[in-house]
Amino acid sequence: MSMTHIALTVNGSPVAGTVEPRTNLADFLRETHNLTGTHIGCEHGVCGACTLLIDGVPARSCITYAAACEGAAITTVEGLDNDEVATELRAAFSREHALQCGYCTPGMLASARDVVLRMDNPSEYEVRVAMSGNLCRCTGYVGIIRATMSVLQARRARGIAPLSGAGREGLGPVGSGHASAMAAPAAAVAARAAGDATPAVARSGSRAAASGADSDWKPHTTFDQSFTVRHPVDTVWEFFGRLSEIAACLPGASLTGEPVDGHVEGKIRVKVGPIAAEFNGVADVTRDEATRSGTIIGSGKDARSNSATRGAIKYAVKPGATPDETRVDVQVGFTLTGVLAQFSRSGLVQDVANRLIGAFVQNLEARLSPQAEGAAPPAAAEFDAGSLMTSMIRDRLKALFAKLFRRG
Amino acid sequence: MKPVNFDYARPADVGAVLALLDDQSRAVKLMAGSQSLGPMLNMRLVQPDLIVDLTGVAELRRVEETAGDLVLGACITHADIEDRRVPDVTRGALPTVASGIAYRAVRNRGTIGGSLTHADPSADWVSMMAAVGARVRLRGPSGERTLPIEQFIVGALEVDLAANEVLVSVVIPKLSSRARWGYYKLCRKPGEFAHAIGAFVTDPERGLCRVVIGATETRPYIVTDARHLLGDVAAGGPAHKVDPATVDAFMAEQGMHDPVDRQIHVTAFRRAIEQAR
Amino acid sequence: MKGEAKSQGIGASVLRREDDRLLRGRGQFVGDIKLAGLKDVAFVRSPLAHAKVHAVHVPEAERGRRIFAAADLDGVKPIVAITALAGFKVSEQPVLAVDKVRQVGELLAMCVADTRAQAEDLAAMVELDLEELPAVHDMVQALEPGAPLLHEHWGDNVFLESAMDVNIEAAFDAPVKITRTIRTARQSMAPMEGRGTVAVWDHRMEQLVLYTGSQMPHIVRNGIAECLGLQQRQVRVISPDVGGGFGYKGILLPEDVCLGWLAMRCGHPVRWLEDRREALTASANCREHYYNITAYADRDGRLRGIDCTAIVDSGAYSSYPFSACLEAAQVVSILPGPYDFPSYRCKTWSAATNKCPILPYRGVARTGVCYTMELMIDAIAREVGMEPYEVRLKNLVQPEQMPFDNITRKHFDSGDYPEALRRAMAAIDLPAIRARQQRGEPDGRLIGVGHSIYCEQAAHGTSVYAGWGIPMVPGHEQATLRVTPDGGLEIRVGVHSHGQGMETTLAQVANEILGIPVDRIKVVHGDTEYTPYSTGSWGSRCAVMAGGAVATASREIAKLVKGIGSHLLQAGSDDVNLVDGKVVTATGSVSIEEIAHTWYRRPQDLPAGIDPRGLETTIGFKPVRDSGTFSYAAHAVVVAVDPEAGDIELLNYVIVEDGGKLINPMVVDGQVYGGLAQGIGTALYEEMNYDSSGQPLASTLADYMLPGPTEVPAPAIDHMETLSPYTEFGVKGIGEGGAIAPPAAIGNAVNDALRPLGAELYQSPMTPRRVLEAIRAARQRASAQTVAEGV
Repeated sequence: MSMTHIALTVNGSPVAGTVEPRTNLADFLRETHNLTGTHIGCEHGVCGACTLLIDGVPARSCITYAAACEGAAITTVEGLDNDEVATELRAAFSREHALQCGYCTPGMLASARDVVLRMDNPSEYEVRVAMSGNLCRCTGYVGIIRATMSVLQARRARGIAPLSGAGREGLGPVGSGHASAMAAPAAAVAARAAGDATPAVARSGSRAAASGADSDWKPHTTFDQSFTVRHPVDTVWEFFGRLSEIAACLPGASLTGEPVDGHVEGKIRVKVGPIAAEFNGVADVTRDEATRSGTIIGSGKDARSNSATRGAIKYAVKPGATPDETRVDVQVGFTLTGVLAQFSRSGLVQDVANRLIGAFVQNLEARLSPQAEGAAPPAAAEFDAGSLMTSMIRDRLKALFAKLFRRG
Repeated sequence: MKPVNFDYARPADVGAVLALLDDQSRAVKLMAGSQSLGPMLNMRLVQPDLIVDLTGVAELRRVEETAGDLVLGACITHADIEDRRVPDVTRGALPTVASGIAYRAVRNRGTIGGSLTHADPSADWVSMMAAVGARVRLRGPSGERTLPIEQFIVGALEVDLAANEVLVSVVIPKLSSRARWGYYKLCRKPGEFAHAIGAFVTDPERGLCRVVIGATETRPYIVTDARHLLGDVAAGGPAHKVDPATVDAFMAEQGMHDPVDRQIHVTAFRRAIEQAR
Repeated sequence: MKGEAKSQGIGASVLRREDDRLLRGRGQFVGDIKLAGLKDVAFVRSPLAHAKVHAVHVPEAERGRRIFAAADLDGVKPIVAITALAGFKVSEQPVLAVDKVRQVGELLAMCVADTRAQAEDLAAMVELDLEELPAVHDMVQALEPGAPLLHEHWGDNVFLESAMDVNIEAAFDAPVKITRTIRTARQSMAPMEGRGTVAVWDHRMEQLVLYTGSQMPHIVRNGIAECLGLQQRQVRVISPDVGGGFGYKGILLPEDVCLGWLAMRCGHPVRWLEDRREALTASANCREHYYNITAYADRDGRLRGIDCTAIVDSGAYSSYPFSACLEAAQVVSILPGPYDFPSYRCKTWSAATNKCPILPYRGVARTGVCYTMELMIDAIAREVGMEPYEVRLKNLVQPEQMPFDNITRKHFDSGDYPEALRRAMAAIDLPAIRARQQRGEPDGRLIGVGHSIYCEQAAHGTSVYAGWGIPMVPGHEQATLRVTPDGGLEIRVGVHSHGQGMETTLAQVANEILGIPVDRIKVVHGDTEYTPYSTGSWGSRCAVMAGGAVATASREIAKLVKGIGSHLLQAGSDDVNLVDGKVVTATGSVSIEEIAHTWYRRPQDLPAGIDPRGLETTIGFKPVRDSGTFSYAAHAVVVAVDPEAGDIELLNYVIVEDGGKLINPMVVDGQVYGGLAQGIGTALYEEMNYDSSGQPLASTLADYMLPGPTEVPAPAIDHMETLSPYTEFGVKGIGEGGAIAPPAAIGNAVNDALRPLGAELYQSPMTPRRVLEAIRAARQRASAQTVAEGV
């Protein structure tokens, strides 16, 4: 197991230990050093409960890793017992009833102390803005703001000047920059107790695909489009029977095996910023000669994110206005489930999916067009990179990024 | 949730960073302040084999001034800019924008390089750096290249940065005393991601006249010659009423179809102009 | 000394006893508890909202060792929360899913390792073989014929249907008839601390010890004992410091049962700490209501009748102990609020959907009901051309009607509702706002003023809950009081304090009667081993019930103290008084310290006939009438709506509250401030959306937006203090009220602001997008109208 040795100062005392690099600073302090005054509220850097002082200024301990704090000076709420500003704040918090359950309080104090030290003569609104990285669910912030304002004003009245940057002089992320270099372990992948190698995929995928006939399933997002190709209806109908051709029209998709009895394995690769997902799965095809219509239902799972996607393509081919024209009705639908799906969506999914089907149809038309007949399939790049599927997932994920990771 | 296990390295120089990036055998992820990466690691959305901590590289925390530019190392934080621990060459534009990024506790660790590389369309730096005409320096095994922001940001969350490259610094042009700028973002609460951003910078002496409409659903709309959108402001005149129809039409052209979206972006842009300073 | 002692009693803003430890990071929350050998648990959860479970594949080496699935949990019963209401359909919630999953986040397997990270590594090894089923993602859809069924044997998706009809036909000829569809969003209670449980088997005590952040440790013990087949003596539930409840910690979770089972089996302590993602998406939500409502009125604004159908999205399972039905059934009985009108019909459904169960969140059904009713009152006012407050004054129950039984037979104990409204209107200065609206704003924003009024039935007891017949019916609330050998006092109560300040306020109650200084009184709560049985902290009941119990017990202690004191003073027991912690006669006095010392340390000084109970008592309390106290408030707010960006700013907020006698006004104000913040969240920010496949779309606090310091103004609060005739000191429960009225007041203010544009909003939260869409819709209607007129 990958372990890293770290040495730092906590509440004025040297502390050394061995941690997994994935251990965040809050867990390191809480679990290894029993400094449980630092509370974890969200682990996404949003709520502020875990805020403590690193090199004397506030920082989030849930999204700061202990290994990155080599050589840093950490102050937790337990280390503020004799701190002058904190002492004044504690009295004011109690007097103004600035805490109820007390869970957000240690983080509030860390931020309030910073405000008191740093801000000159702020308005109440400015103090509210400055405290907005700390959420409280109990007090409505009334007492918190009053207490913070009162300590700040009292100190200024006593002639204590504000301290720019709360006294910080160095550049770069607080907590960092104290340490000497640390080499990476040999190029062996960090030991993982579990996970990626396990093909969770095939089994659940095949189950979903095997249930392709479950007509109850309705895709979350569905788009219908019709178009006409200059090709006889028999040829088009035959084309739709060739699964590899259809797959090639679906951006990002590729087959990993030969189709057997209308059943095929495949995958869709997606890379969005630092997130890489590969949906492995299967697809089943049904075709009805009588109505010249068919269905392709596919499903896949990304093992890393425990997310799954499921899609259906329904099509019907009909004679067009002239004998050498065919009208194609296509319905494409998809659903995304699991971690990747569970963020507020942007308003753009409709638009994105529209582009997806647009590209699918465009590719279909290109493949069906007389010029392409007998010619080599279009260049792999057009279909392999999955640029459109990427963009679909990307936009689906966009809200996640936008909301969580908007650090300027 | 907690991250998957990963290895950790803290190289001392950019060369060592590049050597680690060169390792094809494992998924390597660069980390600076971890304020964007941290949540993704914690949700296991990102599952690297190796995290390379850039903050041990002294060069990346360095600041240089040249005759025309300010060069900020990639690991300079939002708070460094907000507190003016690095010089301000933008007539207050960058410190002002920095002070509105996320929250103070995040700004103390979040970095300019991390933010730009992350390329979230809603991020303040993505829009403001584009407006001010900043460039990024990228170093790879075959040397260094420099790109203007509008070329670096390829799309939402996508930048022109090869897997074996690292962003080392951001080059910010010094604005003249005649320069003017405006920045306005619509958020529902402080620190929340922007729903719409309007930004502009003009500097007749540097021939700068840029508008950025950010927090779009894709990459921000960057207009490098925005005289038609800015009118008198471009020539150093007083703030005037923007013609909403022109801006609205511009955004429709760019592919923003939802009228409510267009409306709030027009609003953000207009307020950026109204607050020109 | 006398003054000082008095200053700590009822009505004093005593600073809180609990503050110091919390301000120094020395509180003890569940996650802070360290036991030797402790291991962490992570759960494998369903990624799908509705699916058949074909298999949960656990690596053979780990099965039954570090990973456990349903088949491993021998002898564990599912969680079942019934009601006695006719027609209720029972859901069984297996603690680990067996055949089917019915919500995203439902538990499928339990993994235990040295750290949470490693437990999650194990969870990633489990493969799920799930067959997705169509999901019911919306409560209206749930009731449609042909909707997918969650619990197939029910034949529909209805936990319970409730209805009432009081002469509705009589209203049909009213000249004013207004119909609206109104919706409130699903929400998360979102206390800053999530759920969490540490479980260990204590061999010496033959006892499962479960540390869990709970508002109701005794009820958790009931549930754990029932699910695990243990005797009550074998279960001890400790609820330590708890980081906020709001209803979220008033439920037995399957995780609690799983941890209990695991602790009994594995030989070491185990811990599960809910993360934010689990809290938002998996455990429980609240508040999602749908109303189709018609109001009938006369042209002078007098309300003739209300006719309503409503649905409450109750999620997949009936949660323990409150059940899936409390909320929808309550809608029927509380919709009329503080209004007196002659005709009423209401029908509601508790709909089962593929979402996590709902819980009664602060205000419970009242927030949605108040939003609905108050928006309708304003709609009537607009229709008949009156100021909304005038319509309210016409229809509110009048003080001379008190006590008052309303149309749904709710018993209002006391109060002057019109006065609260008049004071609120005076404080908000309506004429000034109307003048300001006439002038217009330089920044183009639209000013609106709105108000709302509600009643909060609190501390309702046996007579109410016996009717519901849920697993928990409150009876007498008990307190144990014991004078310590040094003359201090221990108070033991079964309710739990997690922010309400009861370690201080209950001491104030005892101080009022016994004169023992607050800092010599210790309030013990949160441990089934040490406290009398209680249904816990919910329903704004603690000040009335636990306060009442402490007062009753204190009087009993006073008798015992006087008995010993009179002996020591050689006086008759009727000739002594207890004053400021001393037993006094005309000629002498003896302190409680001396009395305690005598009882405990010098029993030889006491006569043979002394009361053998000594200085300790356990006694129960119930109000004279247990149908609940009725506190109430009028809220008034001025908003500025930005018609270009859709933003809503709260410019001024006024609350006139009647909570009866206030034990600690500072603490009461804190409850009102906090409730207001949550009400603002409901009104403007908080929304737990699901997509059509039942995927929750807010899994972080960046998606689920909680109000921060800049979103919550400091309101002006005015207290009326009309005493309840039924309780100790006239106290009324007020814990929830602050969260009830804000969506209604803000909604009315927004509609007032948008009135010049012809736009109205009937859905919370009132987000910028909803505001802008309402404005656009109004403009389109207006231009269509113009075109039509032109033709």
